Amino acid sequence: MFDPKMGRAFLIVTLGGVFAVSSVFADSPTVTAVLRNSEAMVGETVELQIKVNGRGSAKPPENILVEGLEIHATGTSTQFEMRNFTTTSSVIYSYTILPLRGGRFTIPPQTIRVGGNSLQTPELTLNVVDSSGLSSAARPSRSAQSGNAGKLVFAELIVPKKTAFVGETVPVQIRLVFDPRTHPQLVEPPEISGQGFTAQKLQESGETPETIDGRTYDVATFKTAIAGARAGKFEIGPVKAKAQVVVPRRPTSPRARSPFDSFNLDDPFSDPFFSDPFSQFGERREVEIKSEPVPIEIKPLPQNAPSSFSGAIGNFTMTTDARPKSVQAGDPITVTTTISGRGNFDRVNAPVVEDEQGWHKYPPSSTFKQDDDVGISGTKTFEMVLSPNEKKQSLPVIAFSYFDPVKGEYLTLRSEPIAITVQGGTAATQTTIASAPRVTTPATAPAAPKQEQKPADILYQLTERPAVAESFAPLYTRPVFWIAQLIPLLGLLGFAGWKTRQARADNREARRTAALQHEAAELMRKLHRGNLSPREYYAEASRVLRVKTALASSNRGIDPNTVDVETVAGTFGLNGDSRERLRRLFEQSDELQYSGTHDGLGKISSQTRREVLELITNLK
Amino acid sequence: MKQSTRRNGLEELDVKNGASQRRKIRHHTRQSRFTIAIFVATTFAVSLRTSVLAQSDAEFMNANQAYAQSHFVQAIDGYEGLVRSGEWSANLFYNLGNAYFRTGDFGRAILNYERALALERRHPEATANLQIARDETRALEMDQSWSERYLRSTSNNQYTIVAAIAFWVAVLCLIRIFLRRQSNVTVMLAIFLLLVFAISTFAIYEFEYGSKGMALAIVTGKDVQARLATADTANSVLALPPGSEIKILSTRGDWLYAALPSNLRGWIPVKDAERVRL
Repeated sequence: MFDPKMGRAFLIVTLGGVFAVSSVFADSPTVTAVLRNSEAMVGETVELQIKVNGRGSAKPPENILVEGLEIHATGTSTQFEMRNFTTTSSVIYSYTILPLRGGRFTIPPQTIRVGGNSLQTPELTLNVVDSSGLSSAARPSRSAQSGNAGKLVFAELIVPKKTAFVGETVPVQIRLVFDPRTHPQLVEPPEISGQGFTAQKLQESGETPETIDGRTYDVATFKTAIAGARAGKFEIGPVKAKAQVVVPRRPTSPRARSPFDSFNLDDPFSDPFFSDPFSQFGERREVEIKSEPVPIEIKPLPQNAPSSFSGAIGNFTMTTDARPKSVQAGDPITVTTTISGRGNFDRVNAPVVEDEQGWHKYPPSSTFKQDDDVGISGTKTFEMVLSPNEKKQSLPVIAFSYFDPVKGEYLTLRSEPIAITVQGGTAATQTTIASAPRVTTPATAPAAPKQEQKPADILYQLTERPAVAESFAPLYTRPVFWIAQLIPLLGLLGFAGWKTRQARADNREARRTAALQHEAAELMRKLHRGNLSPREYYAEASRVLRVKTALASSNRGIDPNTVDVETVAGTFGLNGDSRERLRRLFEQSDELQYSGTHDGLGKISSQTRREVLELITNLK
Repeated sequence: MKQSTRRNGLEELDVKNGASQRRKIRHHTRQSRFTIAIFVATTFAVSLRTSVLAQSDAEFMNANQAYAQSHFVQAIDGYEGLVRSGEWSANLFYNLGNAYFRTGDFGRAILNYERALALERRHPEATANLQIARDETRALEMDQSWSERYLRSTSNNQYTIVAAIAFWVAVLCLIRIFLRRQSNVTVMLAIFLLLVFAISTFAIYEFEYGSKGMALAIVTGKDVQARLATADTANSVLALPPGSEIKILSTRGDWLYAALPSNLRGWIPVKDAERVRL
């Protein structure tokens, strides 16, 4: 018998085993590094994250030394992830970078010890723009902000770059600045107008108080990303939004100058709010908030795009893994490729297999996990199933090409050859490992020209045709469907009719039975009274017997008028003396009815009456 | 005299019998004619249908042959002729999609793969080639709601059949309950069937009016921009690569208003998009 305790123990052991196995076979530790923003201004901080995947304690660098940059560790966070019974943990070490001067900085690879392994982060590049190199509209300078400072409500459009490539994702920030006394209510969210670019959906990233030129404002920040659709010089914006704000009522008479403002000082009490004694009941008005447009130059991408280039622009790293590593020929191997970094992930398509000879490739699936509000930074994971048609020693090289806007060139990341064992099948005519270049991951060698790789080919033509033409019309719009519904409907109607008829028949039978019972009762009352003549008495007695017989055999529907001695005797199972008495009663009744003697002796003895009544009442 | 009267009587009887026989014969003749007419009409219809099928089969074979000989434009003409004649099948649209793919018209290739899949949801070749064509053009796809994603495991017609069966069996259960022969099993079954009917009906609605319903269209033009207004100079909302999915919401003149991928909306020239369902 099944013991619940044993079952529970078995479940715990099984789960423990699964976790133990998954831990044993967990990925070997890897390390990636990513800059939250590859572009920054002097004095603007940028976050650097070093992510260590895998178990074991890691020793990250406490300080990273780069001339012109101040880099300090700011914290550590841990992530746990479970997928297909495989748990992965990762530790993220965060650093803050403060650029001290403009220029292009290279953050060298950092060595991190994880358990017994020594891993290196990829080299990162940070472009720092001197504040003088930006237009006032692109990044409002102090003076520009000072110009806005007197206003109650204004908008800023912040575009960190003045030039970009077609398709390159440029993060954009919109700041709506309100004087808190205006009690703003946003009526229409900000909208970026302009041509030549596409903009993602705006994401509101919160409202914070900020001091601008000594005055406190509430700043609502919206984030989005734009991508140039074609080359040329364009203007982004202006950004327009509508809000309801409380504005002070217009003074009816010129206001006396504040004694504090005699020397044209910036007297806070000179503010119009304080000139109106009813300022708190100020007028609520809808105002349009508009920023200055920002010019941007969109440059075309270079012509020598590699064939595996799918439009990805940014800075990416790639890791590849495959499961299982030992298969039979024809069995599927799931190749998981993870592309992390910063760029236009909507254009990051699955990496390509460089040499498909001896492999059958199935369409890949993908998932994207974004690390920021607008989806510029994150990790896209592709799962592609490859099936070896012949003996193989390693997986084919997986390649992913992208355009690096900082370097201004196409780069191709290639996976390291992953050793596998394929049982069965014929020997490979040309092993993948021999044909593929051995490049370490992530290799950032310039991509090969387009002609080197063949494009994915479509499947063959089909020659079969159905005998009947197919239709796009849904089944429920076709007459045949509704005609088919008539079958159960007619069945239902037929059933309803049959039930009605049966109910009526039952009703008729019930009425007949009730009438017969009533008649029998009435006759019995008459027989008990004793004031009947013999002819009437015997006639009523024989009638009672007939009615009782008809009632007893109601399922046969016998008419009381057709009941004779044999029927009564048969129905009630009479024999011997009872049957003889019954015959005599019927004969007596018939004799009195038809002989003309009418009432015979004139009176029935009480003995005879008792016998007759006893005979009738015993019939059950 | 008697003899003549008798002869006359016999003649009258003959006349009466003859009339009745003639009526009978006429009736039988009419019946036979009707049967023959039905037979002839059926034979004619069947032979006509057979002839049309034979002809369309020949056209299909010719188009396939043209494709095999790399005469893709000729193959497209052949397949399009069959589409115009209404001889639709998933394989016809799939082959037409392949022919357009070969000519580099990825928008129409994707459109025809989508049509093949609209007729036959589980068409592995069309699914595979559609993915390849989408990768080529980087076509955008409409976002699907979670319900659409889960309900797409079964076809619209299958949901229709399930809904019909669930409805009628539920009606029978309700009648049984109404006739006071209810049991817990009957009540539970009725509730379950009504739930199945409701889910199937919802699924049919999602299929018809969801992001991939009857209003689904494919961008067939090149360099198509969805715009904020019905003018070529209006601001662009989204660049739509060939083969991108859109959902037509309304049409105004030469422009159609459509729901776009990434939850956007915009105006697109009518000539640059075609509905998937014909």
